[in-house]
Formats: sequence, C-alpha cells, structure tokens
Amino acid sequence: MPGEEASEEKDKSIQHTAALSFGFICLIIGIPLWWKTTEVYRVNLPYSDIADLSNTKFQFTIDIDVVNLEKSWTDKDLTDLSKLLKANLADDRKVGAIFPKYRVAVRQAAEKQSSDVTSLKTLAALDDYFHGEESSVNKYLIVLMPVNNAVVKQTTIGNYRAVYLPAGKRDLKTVSAEVTEILHSVLVREDALLKSFQNFLGAREPKDKASMRSLSYHQGYDILFTLVNPQPDILDIDWSIKVAVEAYLSPMVKQLSDYINLDIKSQMLFFTGLRRKPHKDKKNSGFYYEETDLPHTINPLEANLGSHASNNPMLNFIVYVPSRDQHPLHIVLKNGEKVKTNSFLSPQWGGIVVQNLPSPPPNSSLPVRVTVDMKTVMEVFLTQLRLLMDFNIQVKKDLQVREVGNDVIREWELDNWLRKKCLENLATSISTLQSLTALLEGISNIVIQDDIGQQVENAVTGIKEAHRHLSSGQIARAFTQSRKALASSEKAFFDPSLLELLYFPEDQKFAIYIPLFLPIGLPILGSLFKAIKWIKTKRKQKAKTE
Amino acid sequence: MAAPMVNFYFQLIAFAFLHQCTGTSPEEFFKSGHTNNWAVLVDTSRFWFNYRHVANVLSIYRSCKRLGIPDSRIILMVADDMACNPRNPRPATVFNNANNQINVYGDDVEVDYRGYEVTVENFIRVLTGRLPPSTPRSKRLLSDEHSNVLVYMTGHGGDGFLKFQDAEEISNVELADAFEQMWQKRRYHEVFFMIDTCQAESMFQKFYSPNILAVASSKVGEDSLSHHVDPSIGVYVIDRYTYYALEFLETVTPGSKKTMGQFLEVCPKYQCISTVAKRTDLFRRDVNKVLLTDFFGSVRNVELLPDSIHLQNATLHTHSEDSSDVKSDKPLSYAQQFPMPV
Repeated sequence: MPGEEASEEKDKSIQHTAALSFGFICLIIGIPLWWKTTEVYRVNLPYSDIADLSNTKFQFTIDIDVVNLEKSWTDKDLTDLSKLLKANLADDRKVGAIFPKYRVAVRQAAEKQSSDVTSLKTLAALDDYFHGEESSVNKYLIVLMPVNNAVVKQTTIGNYRAVYLPAGKRDLKTVSAEVTEILHSVLVREDALLKSFQNFLGAREPKDKASMRSLSYHQGYDILFTLVNPQPDILDIDWSIKVAVEAYLSPMVKQLSDYINLDIKSQMLFFTGLRRKPHKDKKNSGFYYEETDLPHTINPLEANLGSHASNNPMLNFIVYVPSRDQHPLHIVLKNGEKVKTNSFLSPQWGGIVVQNLPSPPPNSSLPVRVTVDMKTVMEVFLTQLRLLMDFNIQVKKDLQVREVGNDVIREWELDNWLRKKCLENLATSISTLQSLTALLEGISNIVIQDDIGQQVENAVTGIKEAHRHLSSGQIARAFTQSRKALASSEKAFFDPSLLELLYFPEDQKFAIYIPLFLPIGLPILGSLFKAIKWIKTKRKQKAKTE
Repeated sequence: MAAPMVNFYFQLIAFAFLHQCTGTSPEEFFKSGHTNNWAVLVDTSRFWFNYRHVANVLSIYRSCKRLGIPDSRIILMVADDMACNPRNPRPATVFNNANNQINVYGDDVEVDYRGYEVTVENFIRVLTGRLPPSTPRSKRLLSDEHSNVLVYMTGHGGDGFLKFQDAEEISNVELADAFEQMWQKRRYHEVFFMIDTCQAESMFQKFYSPNILAVASSKVGEDSLSHHVDPSIGVYVIDRYTYYALEFLETVTPGSKKTMGQFLEVCPKYQCISTVAKRTDLFRRDVNKVLLTDFFGSVRNVELLPDSIHLQNATLHTHSEDSSDVKSDKPLSYAQQFPMPV
C-alpha cells in the first residue's frame, strides 16, 4: 500500500539519517576530540638548531704580540718575521670541529723599554715589568731578548703571559718555528683541545693519565683537609690549617672565584689509620709502602671520612701521621728510592701525604705536643690540587718555566684551563641536547613541559653566545656563557618530569582501547555502511526517475 | 692522524726542570679504565615469606663493603623490613644461613630506599638521575663516565618482567631503555648486571647499550630455587645462586686477582638446578682478563708525586696571636664531629 510504503520509506530514511548523523559525529567530531584530549603535551623544541649545532665548527681566536728588543734586527726583519709567523700559524693542519685563529702583531720595542730591560736583574723583575699593560686575558706577549741579556739564556716562559726568547744570533726561520712550537705545545695546545672536545662530544677513546686524573667541570668543588692521628694519646698534633689555608690557598680561591666555587672544610680524625700493614725496612729501622700497596690504604680511610651534603664532587687531602709502631713511614719507588714528597694522589679523588713527626723523647709526659710544618704540607697539596683540577701542563725539557711560587696558578695556565673547560662544556651541552632530542623523538609519550622548552632555548642561546665570544677572543665571557649553557642543558635533561608514562606503552594501548571502542564501533560502522548504500540506491532511483 | 698523536705523546713523555711533572712510570695510561665503583642493590619483594630476598641483597651488600666500596657509593633498596618484623623470632637480625653465623643486618647497614620507597619509578629515577632537587646525596647515583656500576636485583620475576612490591612490574624494555639513557649521559664506564629471580635471563635479553656484562640465575622457562630453610625462623633464608656466589666471594680479598670469567662459571647446573645464563656480547673486554674487584671492590689508581712546587713562607696574620692568648686558659672541649668550614 502506498501509505504504508511511504511510512516505511520515512522510517527507513529516519533510521538511515540517524545512522549517518551518529557516524558523522563519531568520525568528524569524536575521533579528533579523542585524539586531542589524549594527546601528550609537548612544547616545541628547536630541533633544527640543535642539529645545526652538532655540525658547527667552533673557532677560537688568540692574540699574539711580538716585541723585539734585539737591536740588530731591522724593521724589514720584523716584517719578514711577521709574514713567516702568520704563514706558520695559518692552519697547516686540517680544520677540525674546533680550530684556532691567530692575530699576530710584530713591533719594535720602545727605547725606554730596552734600557729598562737591561737594568732588570732577575726573571721575576722582568716578568713584573711586562705584566699587565702589554698582555691581558688571551693575549700573549713574545719578547725577543737581546743577545747579551744576562737573565734570559734559554727560552723561558714566565708566570704571567710573557715568553722570553733569546733571539740574538738566530735566524728568522728558527725563531718563528720556535714561537709556533711554543704556541702549539704550551700556550694554546690545539691538539689536546680537539681531543678533549671530541671526547666530550661522544667519541669514547681510551683515556690517558692527564685526562683521567682531573675532575670534569662542575659548578663547584668541595675540598676537605683531614689530619689523621692514630694515637692522640701519645701525640697531640697541632696543625694551623685555618692559617695555612688563608695564607696559601686563598689567593687561588679568589682568583678562581668568578669561574668556580671552591668550598673548603677541614677535620681531624682520631684512632684510625691506614690499615694496610707496611713492609719493614731491614737496612734502616723504618717502614715503607710500595706503589702496589697504596690503592688498598684509601678504602678503609674513606669509610671514616664522612659524607657531606652537597652534590659537588669532593677532593680529599689527607695528612697522615704514622703511629709510633710504624714510624718512620716512607713511600718508595720500584727501585727502593724514597719518594721525595712522601705522598701520592688518586685520580678524581685527592691525595695523601705522610708526615713523619719526631717521636716523643723517653720519660716525657704524654701526650706530647707536636706541630705539623704547614708549608711543606701545603706545597704537596697545592701541587696535587693543580694536577687534579687540570691546571698542570707538561712542558718539554728544553723550555724553562719560571717557578710558580705562591701564585699557585700561572696566568697562561688559567687561560688554558678556561679555554679547555669552555670547549668541554660546549661539547657536553651539545651532546646532552642531542641525546635529549633523540630521547624525546624516540619515545612519543613523554610530556615536555614549558620550563624544559625554556631551558633548552637558554642552552642553545648560551652555546651560540659562547661561540661568538670565543671567536672574538674573549675567553672569560665565553666560559661564563658555556657554564650557563651547561647548567641549562643538564637541568633540561635531568628534569624529574621527563619520565615516560609507565604502564602505557604503545603496544598496550590497543588492549586498553579495544574493549571501550569495539562494542560501540561495530554497530555504528555497520549502520553507516548500510546508510551509505541506501543513499546510493536512492540516488540511482532518482537518476532513473529523472 | 699520526702527527697530532705524536705531538701529544711528546708533551706527555718529557719532564721539565723547575716545573711539576706526573708519576714516575713512563706509562701514559692508568692500569684500569675506571676511577670509582658504585653498587645499586635492589630487593623488590614484600612479606615475611620473602625473607630470603632480603638476605640475598644484604649478603651482596656485605661483600661489596668488605671488598672496599664505601656506603656513600652504595644504593641499597630493601622493600620490606625483616629485622623488625613482628614474625621474626630473632629481632634486629637477618641471617643468610641456618647456622646463624653472620648477622647480615649488622650495626653498620645503611639502607637508602626502604619499604614503600622501593618502586619502579624510584628505581628508574635513580638509574637515570632524574630525581627531584630535594633528594639527599645518599639517595643519588652520582656516577660519571669513569664509574663501574654493579647492579644486583632479586625478587620474583617472570618472562620479561620483575615484580616490585607485589603491586607493579618493571619490564625488560624499560630496564634496557634506562641503561641506554645512562650510556647517553655517560653515567657509567662498565656495568655488571646480576639478577637472581625466576626466568631471570629475560630481563637482560633486551639490553642494547655497550659495556654491560650480565649474569642471571635462570634461563627463560626455568625457576630459580631457594637453597635451604632455617627451621628456627621458619622461612627459606637464601637462594641457590646467591648462596654459591657468596661462597665464591668469601674467598676474594681486596687485592685478589680472581677474574670475572671465574665468577660467571659459579653455580653449575647440579648445584643451582636452574641454568645460569650470561651475556657477554655487549662487553668489550675479555671476561677472563677482567678482575672481580673491578666491579665488587674498589681498587683505585694511584700516582706517586715525585716533586712539588716551592712556596715562600707567607706571613701568618693575627690568628697566631689569638691562639697564644687562648692556650693558657682554654677549657677542654670535644673535637668537632663533622668537617667544619675553614
């Protein structure tokens, strides 16, 4: 009946319209809504910038000033020398990830300077004369001394930023070769810099002693001085550590205060000692440790040293006064010779010095008061500190270096350290950012908060700024920027929120969603198909009737 | 790259006249590639009947301490308190042997994560270093690229997972990812992974980071069994693999030359009943040349100091006047217990 058919048609069309609208809502509104609400919040990170950084070649600039005091050399000689030097220094080696650029200036000394220098009688006076006005951070002065100068007989490197070369009878080629050699091996050391840069960037090569010994850069180090007295009932030991640190260590701490924070503490330990039994010396009455015994003396002591509250690495410097039944105690080399300083160091940990204080005379009232000679002790500790903090630089035999004395760190050593640590920090920041991006791209359900994005931006900006300062030769500013970049990149990488959503891995998402969506999804899809088929047949009918 | 290398060695070899130099031997390399040792020891089971897992981890802890790793570099995670458990007939003690010879819960045990703090999240956070800023130093793994890390885990496990606290699990994929993140951030030099659970091999199958040596007490499909029961306490007190491993470790002294190769052969099938599985393909060195103390002990590199810098006598300030005044009438006082700022 047409009425019934019409109403059936109407029912069917209502059904199919309903199915279509359900399908529409599910597919067009529902699925995007579900996608958006279960999306993990991830801030946009500068991935392309970080990828560029790994390909950047860092240039660092060094200024060299050559001052000539040798009267027999004319201006033409100096121009030739300048040309030779520039040719020697201008990249005779391949351009690596970091490469140096030298700015060389050669000039004749003023008359007054020549006459002043002849009146100076010691190397210290010479160093003081040339200190300050001529050289500054990252700017080195090569002084070509006249042939008859009494003070400088052989190439000498001063404590500030001056190098004294007796030019005299040598020709230009040898002088320029020698200057190049000094720059490559002592003042700038590009090879060591390149090696450590590549190491921190990820190339894990076996480390040699110099790079394994020193601590990597941190915001600060804790330094702990300990006096170990196993028999305080016999010896009452007085060590004026406060005064010694104030007198010998504070100048260095102040010099480094802009770059690194050194926190110094001291303590005394009683009734404990180096538990390893020393060997008895048969010839003289005494005891000794060989080098193979030493590693086992540190561990029992370390348990008693006490832990501390900060997260900075700690350097321990221990003065050990042997007990009376092990007195006097020496450390000997393989050939039986005594080690002059009676001390040893352990890389990345600290050092121990054995002080043999005189035994109490018989019939004296115990405990006997004795004093530690703080000067010898501090000499050993400061040498060890120089080695452990990476200030020490090996110099070839034919170069003389002025004795460093109470300054503890030479200025060109400080420059080297700043340059090296700056490049190491940059390499570490870049590799941290790279591994962070690899991690975030690899695991797609880690939430990236806004502050992490901010830290990453800061790190990238810091690296670029540091590079800019390095290439203009301002290593102190470059170092500060690199330090900030390191702190930001570490903060971003070690942020506690960067933990992937545990128990929600990709393959288990299926198992979670299927029981929710499948029971509803199948009927909706089924009715959607039917509705579309119905529309198609209706269209065909319409086309037929038209 | 011969020329730069030669140049580099040239610098290292020579001595200078007035200037400081390195150790006495001409070798440029230290004997071992690591400078410090860490240990992360985890027990994941709760409840009194899992007494043996706590005994396992405390025994390994004692061995590490005896061989030289200090407490400041051991992270000990124990999921439940057996010593003060009301069912313990010997309160304040945990034994790993029916003879009750050694109380492994002595008076110098430092547990860093106890009870409900032992969770999968905390474990992953310790390994990757992503701890909240308020975490104290004793709860952090502050290893660096020169550290050898020993990781020991014990508890109930299955194929591809390890059960924590009877409430959650850590999967082998998560563990492998955690080690990879440690490698990326240079937080270890070498890792020795030791696991004593059922189907333990599955936990190290997914590792892909270099320098990891792993040993497990049983293969996939096998159960690890416990060793013996202590009738006076009423529970099993130690697992087989750990029992025989400890037997081996008791013969090791801090200066011992025993190798990891020997350690990996410990507990053959007739003793352990399950088959001990190991994984050496990720480890670069030959296990028969690696010392046991590289992971279980702490043998440091040392360098003798042949010469030092020379200082001038600095003038001592007014401090000396203070001390001479005070000496005469100074009351007695105790020595400072903690290091004080200078």
